[in-house]
Formats: sequence, structure tokens, C-alpha cells
Amino acid sequence: MEELDAEPPLTVVPGADPSARQLCFAWGPAEVLVCETLFGSRGTGEGGPSSSRLFVVRRDQDIYIQTLRKLFNESHGIFIGLQRSEEELAGKSRKAQLVQVSKNYRSVIRACMEDMHQAAISTRDPALHSQYSTQVSILSAMELIWNLCEILFVEAAAAGPLLLRLLDWVRLHVCDVDNMVREVLSSENPSKHELFWNVVDIFVLQGRMDEARHLLSKEASANPTSVNMYKILDDLMKKMPVPSLGNTQTLTEMELKWQHWHEECQRYLQDGTFASNSHMESICKILLGDEDAILEKKELMTTWYHFLVTRLLYSHPTVKPMELRFYAQSSMDLFLGGESGPEPLDTILMAAFEFEMHQVIKECSIALSNWWFVAHLTDLLDHCKLLQSHNLYFGSNMREFLLLEYASGLFSHHSLWQLGVDYFDHCPEYGRVYLELHIERIPLNTEQKALKVLRICEQRQMHEQVRSICKIMAMKALRNNRLGSALSWSIRAKDAAFATLISDRFLKDYCERGCFSDLDLIDNLGPSMLLSDRLTFLGKYREFHRLYGEKRFSEAAKLLLMLMTAHIAPCSFWMTLLTDALPLLEQKEDDDVETMKVEMLRLALARNLARVIVKEGTLEGS
Amino acid sequence: MVSVINTVDTSHEDMIHDAQMDYYGTRLATCSSDRSVKIFDVRNGGQILIADLRGHEGPVWQVAWAHPMYGNILASCSYDRKVIIWKEENGTWEKTYEYTGHDSSVNSVCWAPHDYGLILACGSSDGAISLLSYTGDGQWEVKKISNAHTIGCNAVSWAPAVVPGSLIEQPSGQKPNYIKRFASGGCDNLVKIWKEEDGQWKEEQKLEAHSDWVRDVAWAPSIGLPTSTIASCSQDGRVFIWTCDDASGNSWSPKLLHKFNDVVWHVSWSITANILAVSGGDNKVTLWKESVDGLWACISDVNKGQGGQQRYPKNPTAQLHRRDTEGFWETDEAGAEDDRSSIEIKFNVPFEIGVKITEEEYQEYGQALEKMLGDMLEETAKETQMRN
Repeated sequence: MEELDAEPPLTVVPGADPSARQLCFAWGPAEVLVCETLFGSRGTGEGGPSSSRLFVVRRDQDIYIQTLRKLFNESHGIFIGLQRSEEELAGKSRKAQLVQVSKNYRSVIRACMEDMHQAAISTRDPALHSQYSTQVSILSAMELIWNLCEILFVEAAAAGPLLLRLLDWVRLHVCDVDNMVREVLSSENPSKHELFWNVVDIFVLQGRMDEARHLLSKEASANPTSVNMYKILDDLMKKMPVPSLGNTQTLTEMELKWQHWHEECQRYLQDGTFASNSHMESICKILLGDEDAILEKKELMTTWYHFLVTRLLYSHPTVKPMELRFYAQSSMDLFLGGESGPEPLDTILMAAFEFEMHQVIKECSIALSNWWFVAHLTDLLDHCKLLQSHNLYFGSNMREFLLLEYASGLFSHHSLWQLGVDYFDHCPEYGRVYLELHIERIPLNTEQKALKVLRICEQRQMHEQVRSICKIMAMKALRNNRLGSALSWSIRAKDAAFATLISDRFLKDYCERGCFSDLDLIDNLGPSMLLSDRLTFLGKYREFHRLYGEKRFSEAAKLLLMLMTAHIAPCSFWMTLLTDALPLLEQKEDDDVETMKVEMLRLALARNLARVIVKEGTLEGS
Repeated sequence: MVSVINTVDTSHEDMIHDAQMDYYGTRLATCSSDRSVKIFDVRNGGQILIADLRGHEGPVWQVAWAHPMYGNILASCSYDRKVIIWKEENGTWEKTYEYTGHDSSVNSVCWAPHDYGLILACGSSDGAISLLSYTGDGQWEVKKISNAHTIGCNAVSWAPAVVPGSLIEQPSGQKPNYIKRFASGGCDNLVKIWKEEDGQWKEEQKLEAHSDWVRDVAWAPSIGLPTSTIASCSQDGRVFIWTCDDASGNSWSPKLLHKFNDVVWHVSWSITANILAVSGGDNKVTLWKESVDGLWACISDVNKGQGGQQRYPKNPTAQLHRRDTEGFWETDEAGAEDDRSSIEIKFNVPFEIGVKITEEEYQEYGQALEKMLGDMLEETAKETQMRN
């Protein structure tokens, strides 16, 4: 037996009685049945208390959350677009394309988050509010992780731009700041606001130099004594070298500049320039990348990864992707300081900083409650050709595995199953067979739904499933006495036996009521009439009636004769046929009198034969 | 993640022995020691009793739904030696056929793949297996395999329908040449595979591995691979997974899934055959999945217990709940099943993953490295010597 990394989770089914019983289990198509039983009680009438309750256990309930519907639908569109996108584009343009796809996914997550947030604040039900709020934080975490993966894996930002991207990332995801900023800026006297320095600090911590300088200028104008200090600090902040996105400078150039700037800051600090203002002094220390100074602002940064990025900004702005892991680990240790262990989110982010892609996917699979996130992210990474370069045992199969799981989950939903079909289509190994197994289980409540499912099967040449569905619909129609519908379904299923059965019913109905139902269908059978003898007979017999109705008697007579002689009429019907023939015999046709005579003779003979049959029949008491 | 659990109050007056969902998950059939079979409509999490079927004179052991293309049909088997087939006609459920050809309790019923027609296999404590085939017009044809298992037969399970050779679409009306097979488990500790040849059922294979009564067998649904898989469980506490690689069905090899501490009563496969459910004498149902290396891992436990199923998030930011781990992930144990002495060595190069190697391998490599370094040093030493 294999060992897993974690204990298999236990799902407890609430049971009321303490006596030792076993659990009886059965798979449903989308759920699981569990009930208490006692295996081995082979006797009769055991008596004693027993539970008569049964439990239907359902998982993957996220697909039923209305506000997530947008997430599933829109990401489906992005997914299909990605599968069909140009593979021939190489290098930069391909990468840009993939980054765009990643951004699209993220904007869908954010849109969903917004909807969920609206739902949360507008509901009065506390349980719902709690559920929505939880969902918002989960979606937020997903976007955070995805964004980081986009920077590190999809875009694979190199040293220089890497830091800028990480700064953006941090700025985007720490929202508490904006409220505080707004509060301070909108106050009468910002520099006198108690949170003033907090805001300046946070700007500095996030590398938002212009905004920090702007605020500081307010302080300077309100406090003339510190003007000199302010000018120096402002100048330092203005001059701080940052990596550029374009090709305006090489990394080495930047590093050199940065080194000089760093030394300048160091000089000012050591000279005691800022000694009289602890706030400014601490800012200078931060600029110098002093870990303790930065750590003092822990409350403002709130997370270890913010701390990480700030550290990098002020001590290693040209950090290389491969160096991230060391800084990440130490940042987390310093920040958490042994107070608490890492949360699942922390583990996932750490795995990303360590470029352990498969670890990220694994941890996300464990932590999240449905496969949506890992399935789409893995698919994207696979398109970036990142999974194949890893020495994994299953390479692209991991992508397929996750997509199969995600799509299977969709099938238990009454309308999302249609999305699942497309996902299966893009799983080359097992997609088709999974589709075959799942599509058969979709309840065919309405004819429309059946037709939809049928079309999907026909498009994919899934002939077995087509036949099966048609047979099921035919049976349903027959049970509800909708003979016409039953007949057309059995023709579509090419089910000769069933078609015979239904034709018999039609004929029986005719004998009883003297008229046909569903004339349109029978009139327009065309070549499908040949599916079964009985069906052919039914079609032709109806044609006979039509001819008769149109007073084309000679044609009708010919047809009737053919019916009698072609041996396709069921025995039980002979009487009816002969009865039908009677009025024809009384018709007078001017042409072909001779032929008519011969026919009449034949008919008379047939009548005798028929009498015999009928007599035999009555003797046998049928 | 919290599972949503709906309770259905069946109002059975005695122990429930079996419960089965229909094909679409819209209806539920249950059977009990109170001799009745009940059918519920369970759409949208509700429960509506559709039918309370009486006809058995003893505890009813199993129920089985036929494929919907034949209509709404349910089979039940009981201690009273009878197999009853119920059908829904014009909105009401009625007995459509009763089979009394067994001399002892009938323990298991299983419908054949719909491609074969409407055929029911029944296993009984009298050691025989009967096959009831619907021939039309309310008529059923019976074929009996007497002495299939000495002492008694406890379970029957059909193989999925696979046409030998390529699956070319047959012209209408013509039935493709299916080779019908099913597996049975009995009190002779054996799992047997039966094949139909020229209209007769013959014993094709005898699978021996259990040391006590075989309680259940389950043939896995086909996912298009050439392998066939059967799960069997027994009084001896073991669950075996049997696989056969070749199409002729000749060589079956067992793999022990796990040895439980108590009797294992039931095994069943999910519809895409990727998860096996095992229910045993120890109050729980365990779910198993096969990893890439072909080893089986337990991925979940379902246990009866006292309430407390809601778990509330601790802190509001970024709540991520634990979910099942999948055995799929556990692949670094490259073949070293019972290897307790493996060491993890991480190399600090980009894109590298920790590679687990065994103690011996480590020694081996260590020695090779030592030798190499030793040789290099010797050479350099010689060189310097020569120069001097």
C-alpha cells in the first residue's frame, strides 16, 4: 500500500446510535449512498433498534454556488481559446500571448470576487454572509497565488523587471492601505493626522516614492524647522535607482548606481542628519534596507511576502529569480518569528518562490475545495511548456488528470455539464471514454435536452451512446403513449425490434379506433420505412388509405394487392385488409377492365384463404 | 471541505441491507429485513416515496436497477429463495416476474451490460448461479449453472461489454459478436470467471488467493484500456485487485490492496473506475485510488459518528480548507514500497526536485565518488611529483 503525505480525511456521517454497526455503501452517478447496516445478519427478524435512515453524501458543491457560475463559464471560454491558439508563434509573441491568457483568467477571478462581495454585503442572512465572505477570501487567495505564478512562471520575469512585478503584486493585494491613505489625505491637516507617518511609511515600504514625497512635502510646509532634513530625504528618495523595464540600462549599470546611492544614504545616516526626527530616521534606515527597521513596521506590512519584497527592494533590487527562495525562506522565518506556523497559503507561496511548480499544484489541490484552480493553472503552465521540462513521472498527464477531475465534477450539474464536454475533448488520452461514461448519466428530462446530448454524441461519432439514448427516449415515449415520438426515436436508434413493436401498436390502435394517429410521421417515413417489415407495412398501409381518400382507386387496389401478396402483413391484420378490399371491388373503373377481372379473381381466392385463416384462428381461440 | 449530507428517512422497520441509485441519480431503491423494497424520488435533495413493494417472504438482500432503455425495472433477491423483477407500468410499480428456481437464499443479483439485452445474473447459497434473459412478451428464459461454488455463491458481477476486434458500426438489426463474461465469488474461497460459449456458460478461470469466503466481487468499468480489472473481498479481511492484460483473458494476477482487521463485505467501483470503495466490519468505508506506479492508496474515510460535521474558518483571511489528497501525487516512492531507510537528498540546482534514493544506493554512489576523487588526487600528486 502507498503512503500519502497526509492522513486521508475522514468524513463523518452523523449517526445517532452507539451500537456497533457497519456502513453500507453505494456509488451514485454524482453522489454516494451510505446507510447503517449489519452485514452477516443472515437470519430473519433480527428485531432490536435499527436505523431506518439513509444518507446521500454529495461533494463538490461549489458548482451550485450561483455567483461562481460566471467563473466557470468565462474561464471555459478562455480555456478553449487557449487550446485553439496559435502554437506556431514562437518566443516573445507566444509568451506575450500566454501572459495575456493568464491576465484574462485573473480578471475573471476578480470579477467573480466583486460579485461575491456584493452578494455578501447585500444579504441579511448571517449564514449566507459568512459563506460569501469566505468565498471572497478564497478567491482573493487564488488570485494572489495565480498572480505570483504568472510573474514567476508564465512571464518568467528576469532580474530587474522581476522586482518591479513583485512590487506591483504586493501593492495590488494589500488593500487595507487604501482606506488609511484616503482617511489621511482627506483630512483637514494631513500632516497632523495620527496615521500620517503610517501612510508615509507604507508608501516607502511599497516603493511608492512619489506619493511618499508628496506627503512629506506637506509635513515640510507645516514644520519649517525640519525643512533641511526633508530636503535631503526627498532628494535621496528622488534619486533612488530602480530597475527599468526597457533596455535603457544594464543590470550592472543599475547596480553601480545603486551602490553609490546606498553609500550616500549611509553617510547621511551616520552623520546624524535625521537624528532629531525619529520618523525620518527610520525611513532612512528602511532605505538602507535595515531589516530591523523594516520589521518594526510589521503591522503595516501584515504579511511576510510584503516584507520579502520590501527587503528585496532596499537590499537586492537586482535579485535573480533563482535567488528568491533564500530570501523567501528567511523572510518568512523573520516575520513569523516562530509565533505561528505557516498557513496553507504561506506554504503555497513559498513553493512558488522556490520554483517548485508541482509542489504549488499539489498544495493547492489539497487546500482548495474544487479542481477549478489547479486544472486551469496547470493547463496554462503546460502550454508554457513548463511541465514537460520537469523530470516528472507523468508530465502532461498531470494536466489531463486534473482536467478530467474538474470536468467530471461539472457533469453532476444540470447545465454546467455542457462545459465539461469541451474539457473532455481536450484530454487526448482518456477524455473520450470519460465523456462516454458521463454523458450517458445525464438525465434526459426533456426532449430538448435529449436532442442536445444526442447532437454532442453524433458530432463525436459516439454511436453506442447515440443508440442508447434513442432507445431510452423511445421507451419513455412508449410508456407515455406517445407513439409517434416513440417511433421516430426508434427509427433514429435504428432499432428494428422496437420499431416493429411500435408499428404493431399503431396497427392495433387503428383496428380499435379506425384511424391513425401521427399521420404526418407515417406519411413521411421515407427510406427509414425499411427498418422493419412491420414498419414498412404500416407505411404502405397508410399510403393505401391515402390513395383511397384521394379516390385513386386503381392505385389503391394495386397497393392493397401488393400488401396482401408480399407477406409482410401480419396475420392478425388479414381480416382488416380484406374488409378494406370490399369497397374497392364495388368501384367501377373504365380502363383496364380485363386486368381488373383477373385481380378480382385473385382477390376472391385470397378471400377464401382468409376465411380459412380466420376459421383456424377462431378454432384455436386466439 | 464540507460534504453536504441529505438524510432520507426510509421508514423501514428493520435493518436496511442494500440501497442503490438509479442510472441518473434521480431515484433510490432500498431493501430491508422487513421484507419490503422501497423506491424514492430523490431529486433536488428531497425524498418522495414512490413505491413500497411487498412480495418477498424474508429479508431482501440486494436490489439492482436495469438500464433505462428497458424502462424502469428493478430486481430484488431475498432469503426466501426468490428473485423478483419489478417494473413500472403506467406510473405504478408491479411485480413482472418471479423466479423461484433456487433451493436456498439468493444473495446477489446483477444486470448484464445493456448491449447484451435484458439479462440478470443471480447467485445463491445453494451454490448455483442462474441467468434470467428476457425474451419478449413478458417471457424470461432461464439458464442455470449448478454447483458454481460449493457451499454457496455470494456475489456476481458482469464484465463491461467489449466487442472483440475493432468496434465497427454494425448494420442495423445485427447484433455484434459480444463475448459475455461475468465474475462470481463464493464460499469455496474462489473467484470464478464465467464465459458464454455457444449458448452455454462455462467456467473460464478460477482465481485463488483468498483464504476464506469471498463476500463480494466487482468488475471495474472499462476506460478503453486493454486490461480488465476485478476487485474481490473476503471474510479473511483481504481485498485483492485482479488484472488481466491480454484480451484472451488467460492470465490474471492479484495484487493485495490491503489487509483489514475485520471481514470485508463489499467492494464497488465509481463510474469511471478510478476509485474503489471498500466497506468492512470496522464501521467505515474507505476509498482507494491507484497511483501511477500501480500501488493503491487510501484517499478517504467515511465513518459513522456523532455529528460535528461543520468546520468554521479560523481567521478571515485566505481560508483554504483541506481536501482529499490523491494517491496520484505520491510518486516519488519509485518502487520502494516498504523502504523505510530512504534518505532525501536535495541538490541546489535550478529546477531540481528532491530525489529519494535508498541507503544502499547512497553508499554505492558515495563509494564511486570517493574512488573518483581519490584517483584525481593521485594523478595531480603524480604530476606535481614529476614536475619537481
